[in-house]
Amino acid sequence: MSMDHHHTALTDRLTFPEENKISTGFFAAGFVGIALSLIGLFVNTEQFFYSYLTSFTFIASLFLGALFFVMLQHITRSSWSVVLRRIPETISLQLVWLGVVFIPILFGMEFLYEWTRPERIATDELTQHKQPFLNIPFFVIRNVIYFAVWAFLGYRLYKNSVAMDRSASEKLDKQQRVISAPGILVFSFTVAFASFDWLMSMDSHWFSTMFGVYYFSMSFQTILAVVIVMVIYLLRKGLLVNTINSAHIHDLGALLFGFTVFYAYIAFSQFMLIYYANIPEETLWYYYRFEGSWIVLAYLFLIGRFVLPFVLLLGKKAKSNHKILLGVSLWIILLQFLEIFWIVMPILHKGAISIHWLDLTLLLSFSGISAGLFFRQFARHSMVPKNDPLLSDSLNKH
Amino acid sequence: MSSKDTPYAVLAEFANPADLMDAASEVNKAGYKHFDTYSPFPIHGMDDAMGLKPSKLGWIVLAHGIAGLLGGVALQVWSMDIAYPLHISGKPYLNFPAFVPVAFAVVILLASFGAFMGMFFLNRLPRLHQPIFNSDRIAKATDDGFFICIEATDPAFSEQQTSEFLKSIGATYIETIPE
Repeated sequence: MSMDHHHTALTDRLTFPEENKISTGFFAAGFVGIALSLIGLFVNTEQFFYSYLTSFTFIASLFLGALFFVMLQHITRSSWSVVLRRIPETISLQLVWLGVVFIPILFGMEFLYEWTRPERIATDELTQHKQPFLNIPFFVIRNVIYFAVWAFLGYRLYKNSVAMDRSASEKLDKQQRVISAPGILVFSFTVAFASFDWLMSMDSHWFSTMFGVYYFSMSFQTILAVVIVMVIYLLRKGLLVNTINSAHIHDLGALLFGFTVFYAYIAFSQFMLIYYANIPEETLWYYYRFEGSWIVLAYLFLIGRFVLPFVLLLGKKAKSNHKILLGVSLWIILLQFLEIFWIVMPILHKGAISIHWLDLTLLLSFSGISAGLFFRQFARHSMVPKNDPLLSDSLNKH
Repeated sequence: MSSKDTPYAVLAEFANPADLMDAASEVNKAGYKHFDTYSPFPIHGMDDAMGLKPSKLGWIVLAHGIAGLLGGVALQVWSMDIAYPLHISGKPYLNFPAFVPVAFAVVILLASFGAFMGMFFLNRLPRLHQPIFNSDRIAKATDDGFFICIEATDPAFSEQQTSEFLKSIGATYIETIPE
């Protein structure tokens, strides 16, 4: 490309056209979901909390994945991602309200977490030994810390970024890195422990030191898929077509490919170590998740979440092919929900896959409200960090 | 059977990376195929400017990777199930989860061999003689020189016309390299 093809100025419309009311549609869907789910709360309380935890951890994984994406771009001073960084930034801003929707889970702990049940504590020696960590007050304190840290990181990084839209600031740009570097360290511990608390402690005898990484690897693969879907959606609407080019898409595709392998590596390693050692206490977690028709989902993740995306995205051209990327990304997002479903639900429904209508209404609630809030926020500011010092590098990426 | 008069190529020097990139694009547009660019550092976008096709290396690596996968699995199936079946903590002889790490490692090993040796093969390395070093000037390509070299094997090559063409697109120095 010759010098005269270089451009340093944004030529696209920079605000998301909210006149098409996409957020209103999502809010409406979300509220329908909430209304139906509230009926379910009284019809089948236990099922409600299991479905609630499933959808909550699904949505949380997207927000957390987005936060990691943003911090990673800052600490590496990545220029390639600047043109599309506002998408994960806006998603990770949603962490400010994630703690609020965690509160209902505290009221369902007796259903979800066997270690909170007095009769269990009284009779089970191992649960007694785990009491210093697995007790309700400490559980609450830990979660308050997680949500406070994430809300701060998501909020601060977003606010600094949009503040730079008004006027370029070297100080704020530096602050993004100063926050992100310790942020990523704190993130890794909080996400790991949150996954221990939310999901792993459901089987209170079971433990896997890899579980935090497992949840993270699922989350990061999924958020890359979400960003790809969003970018392709914008391009199809004719937005940012001169800003986001095929080299950006290719890099997203390459990352999705890479983190598909990372996910498979982590998920399989966790399984294989337990399978190989064959210690009853450890294998029990997989036993319930392979029992009856649940095994179908386990194979689905192996084939659908690793082999299929791996083969489809292996070629260089496929990584920037919009149709392939969109298909694979939507499929991975669906499997992320199903995998969390597979982690949570076999405790309630032993031996056979059982999809309750509450699973769907709560998924609709969480994704409807999240998507509505996302699009409303996305329309408020420029879709591109327009004064970012690395913007022109990003625009000229090829 | 080459005589001393047959040139190997025409070498042209350009002032800077941007000029080199523009010139490479012009050379490609003029229909030359057997040419290469030389610079002290990689120039992003040069592949496109030169009109290079994607490398075949990926296919070589893929073939090696698949061979590694099949070989790695076959080795374990044969040794663990057919040749020397051993009972290990109640697990089946055909213990595919346990085969994965070894199969994975063999895939990586063979794919790396494929990438390493495929690169040598595609670059026709090792090479005992490269006539471009008949020019003293080319050594600047490791320091501050930006060169295009159009080889005489190109169907469109003609010593005089090619030299004039290179001059017309901004070459600061032209040299005919003898075979």
